[in-house]
Amino acid sequence: MKWELIIPFITFFAVLLIQLTVIPLIAIAGVIPDLILITLVYYSITRDQFYGTILGASYGFFIDLITGSLLGSAMLSKTIAGFTAGFFSTETKKEININTFIFSLIVFICALIDSIIFSFFSAFDLQTNIFQLLFEQALMPSLYTSVVSVLFLFSPFRRRKF
Amino acid sequence: MFRFLSKVWTNFKEYIALVFLILLSLIILSQNKNPNVQKIRAIAFGSFATITSVISDLINVTDLKRENEELRETNSKLMLQISRFREFGIVNKELKELLEFKDTTGFPLIPASIVSRSLSMTQNTITLNAGKKDGVLSGMPVINDKGFIGIVNSVSEDFSIARTLNNVDLRLTVMDERSRINGILKWTGEEMIITNIPNTFDVEAGDRIITSTVSTIVPVPIPVGIVEEFRPGETGVFSYIRVKPFVDLTPVENLFILARVKSKQIDDLELNFYRRQ
Repeated sequence: MKWELIIPFITFFAVLLIQLTVIPLIAIAGVIPDLILITLVYYSITRDQFYGTILGASYGFFIDLITGSLLGSAMLSKTIAGFTAGFFSTETKKEININTFIFSLIVFICALIDSIIFSFFSAFDLQTNIFQLLFEQALMPSLYTSVVSVLFLFSPFRRRKF
Repeated sequence: MFRFLSKVWTNFKEYIALVFLILLSLIILSQNKNPNVQKIRAIAFGSFATITSVISDLINVTDLKRENEELRETNSKLMLQISRFREFGIVNKELKELLEFKDTTGFPLIPASIVSRSLSMTQNTITLNAGKKDGVLSGMPVINDKGFIGIVNSVSEDFSIARTLNNVDLRLTVMDERSRINGILKWTGEEMIITNIPNTFDVEAGDRIITSTVSTIVPVPIPVGIVEEFRPGETGVFSYIRVKPFVDLTPVENLFILARVKSKQIDDLELNFYRRQ
């Protein structure tokens, strides 16, 4: 049981390492995918909504601490993203949501919510064009993350029975 | 009562956790300037940066040859420029001696490499492999041969985090090199603009923008960018000036930290002045 609690955090630090060093190399016009969010969505669906909410808060807090962004901003956005992903953690549909392309759609929705909330704290300005802000800082990163999550569907670590 | 609470918890624990964590996040957001929080952050990113620096070194090996060739070419051009500037320097020194000006050149540069970059387009930060033991302090400018990159924000023993020009929290006093007009440079999340310059002031597309000598953060002139667009603002009396920075941060791996922080004497003088007001 305790091992099941520790694995998500070990996974988080490994993924964060890749996110900060390797992922910037595949940036397209400054847009990068968010592997942390894919990990969060996976655990939120496979466990439950309560677990996903707390995990999101923990992930966000560590991200803020390590990367130097506004402390609390990623914590807030990832908490809500984890909570949202938890809505898809139903007993009857867990397996479908993880093992099919629906997973990418869930990742897209959660990434969009995460990006919108995070961008709100970062770049909100009364003179900012809100639609342009949503397009460049929410929609594009979410789409990229969703596309990358498709690769996760073919990963041998993913497939499991519930 | 206990049964009621237990029932509420069972049915609504996800929502209770959500509300609690949101409130906690907001409280933490309000504590960003707390010195204790800054200390904890310095320890956290310093520890993690030790690991990311190892991986960064492995990745950067493949780019070293190309970067070497580019640097050799830049060095050759700089060598020619330095020869010319030496001549100017000699003449300048003689004039300064005549006028008894204080010599303000010769700032030490601390070399550093980027070991990791942040996730965000709006709160862009870079982690550098130079810290307190190298003499780095919070507030020092970060530059490379092309120009200004950012300002050091947090420092640990071996590493530091710098906010780059693409960070909405960085405001920089800059100057038009030609017309000597000062303004505030900021990143909106989408573009870099200069604010607080009236429509009637003399700024044109193509003007070089440098850090202003009146800046308390960066009191030496460092190239920042070039004006791409200047037009009168749609509302109010201030103009819209879009700037393209000289430094494209994407391929940058090696840079320098200018070992200079704002003068404590000037800082204390200004603080006392505003307090009396």
